[in-house]
Amino acid sequence: MPKQKLDPLPAAAFQILLSLADEDLHGYGIMRQVADQTGGRMRLGPGTLYSSLQALAEEKLIQEVGAREDADSGTERRRYYRLTSAGRKLARSEADRLAALLRVARAKKILRGGYV
Amino acid sequence: MSEKLYAWLLRLYPARFRAAFGDEALQLYRDRSRDETGFLRKLRLWLDLLADLAVTLTRDYTPAAAPAPFETGPSLLLLPDQSPRTAAMLFGSLISLATLVALPFLVSHSGGYPQIPGPSAPRALAFADAQSTSHSDARNWSADTADRKRIIAAVIANLKEYYVYPGVARKMAAALEAHEKNGDDETVSLGAPFANLLATQMRDVSRDKHLRLEYSLSPAPDYSQGPPPDAVARFRREMKQQNCTFEKVEILPYNIGYLKVNGFPDPAICQSSALSAMAKLNDASAIIFDVRDNHGGSPRMVALLASYLFDRPTHLTDIFTRPNNSTEQSWTPPPVPGNKLADKPAYVLISSSTFSGGEEFPYDLKMLKRARLVGEPTAGAAHLTSAHRIEDHYTFFVPSGRPINPVSKTDWEGAGVQPDVKVDASDALATAQKLALDRLQSGRSSK
Repeated sequence: MPKQKLDPLPAAAFQILLSLADEDLHGYGIMRQVADQTGGRMRLGPGTLYSSLQALAEEKLIQEVGAREDADSGTERRRYYRLTSAGRKLARSEADRLAALLRVARAKKILRGGYV
Repeated sequence: MSEKLYAWLLRLYPARFRAAFGDEALQLYRDRSRDETGFLRKLRLWLDLLADLAVTLTRDYTPAAAPAPFETGPSLLLLPDQSPRTAAMLFGSLISLATLVALPFLVSHSGGYPQIPGPSAPRALAFADAQSTSHSDARNWSADTADRKRIIAAVIANLKEYYVYPGVARKMAAALEAHEKNGDDETVSLGAPFANLLATQMRDVSRDKHLRLEYSLSPAPDYSQGPPPDAVARFRREMKQQNCTFEKVEILPYNIGYLKVNGFPDPAICQSSALSAMAKLNDASAIIFDVRDNHGGSPRMVALLASYLFDRPTHLTDIFTRPNNSTEQSWTPPPVPGNKLADKPAYVLISSSTFSGGEEFPYDLKMLKRARLVGEPTAGAAHLTSAHRIEDHYTFFVPSGRPINPVSKTDWEGAGVQPDVKVDASDALATAQKLALDRLQSGRSSK
């Protein structure tokens, strides 16, 4: 079942994998990081966020690293999530797939500017 | 009061979801409503929550698997037998109503989303893509142009003050000005696309892989008083999780020591990891350092690891920094007592991903003829970087220093570090093992 949920990889799940590439984050941290890395275009609501996290965890693409204190606020205890090596691999292959797509798009000259 | 309302809304989510994530969802709501103040943002928060609930409920009633299509004829998707819960029906009506009410309002307030949280978000920088930029009015457009001019001026000022080669800095500045004059910058919106464009314009001139201009949605840290404490704390945490990037410490067959290290984090944070890794390899007959995935770090960690290969402090490199025009020498610290590796054969595995400080280690050892390098030429990025904040949201990583090797009198910028034994990076370990074994066996037979 979760396999179906993640194949093809939904955009939200891919963004979550990317958001965890650098450090472990809690749910709200993931939401902010995803908003950050998409220039504010993707804001994950709780339903999408947590069901994606669950699906990713069931496929062992991420793992929960236990509740701990939030370093910023120092008060509340939260569940943190970490990218597994399988998750990193999947994110990389998805990025490769998108890069290939981008090359096609570029060849068809539908993109402006040289920054992509 | 609004938290209560949301707690009530949460009851509409599927029971399984609530059991697993109810508390976290409520926490998420608290976080967002704490950070997102003001009427527009609050409105957006609630629209987000309602939309999310709608999506979640719909998904709950989507058939788990599409029924097998008929051999011929159309394939049909069927809803499950049971009808939606009353709560869901009720909620459906609520959403339709909310959407209807919100739509006219949003249409009249178009012009891109306001910025996401950020404690001190300045006036909304347009995140809109090129398409919606063309919709914005002339006043916005000229404000963007003024922003661009200011940011470019700040970038140029930083280049001229800090970039390691003043001549190259001037060329990059000229290129930035020419692109701006040409209107090239107006094809992209402010924010990350603009930052990337400027960085590309500068790298096209300098080919400097260390030069980066980054945009972050939340205000960038201030580096002027040294590294910001929270960044240091985060780095410390990451290093602890990754064992300071010491990925493998092993004794391979024939007593060959093997250390795979993917960075050179500062000894102030990672000294104990380095010491314990090297202690495990102290009795090896030969040693292989694997820096094929090493992306650099601190020259001090380079010197600390190199110290095991010498019986006395050894001059590895000089490091020149532009802002104060100073040159510092980097020496290995005195060897740790009881070190047995100073006279053992040493090999360093390198690849095209070996970057920056990851390249200094093999380069220094090669110049001192203390190790043989096995693998592919490295990335060719020799510079040391300093970070500078521009406005509130841009961070400019300016290459402002370079190593100058006492033997070669230069560095490896552009050219990369060349292997002594050139093989595919994927074959480097097996090749080095064979080289080490040959060396150990010939050493024994000649005695």
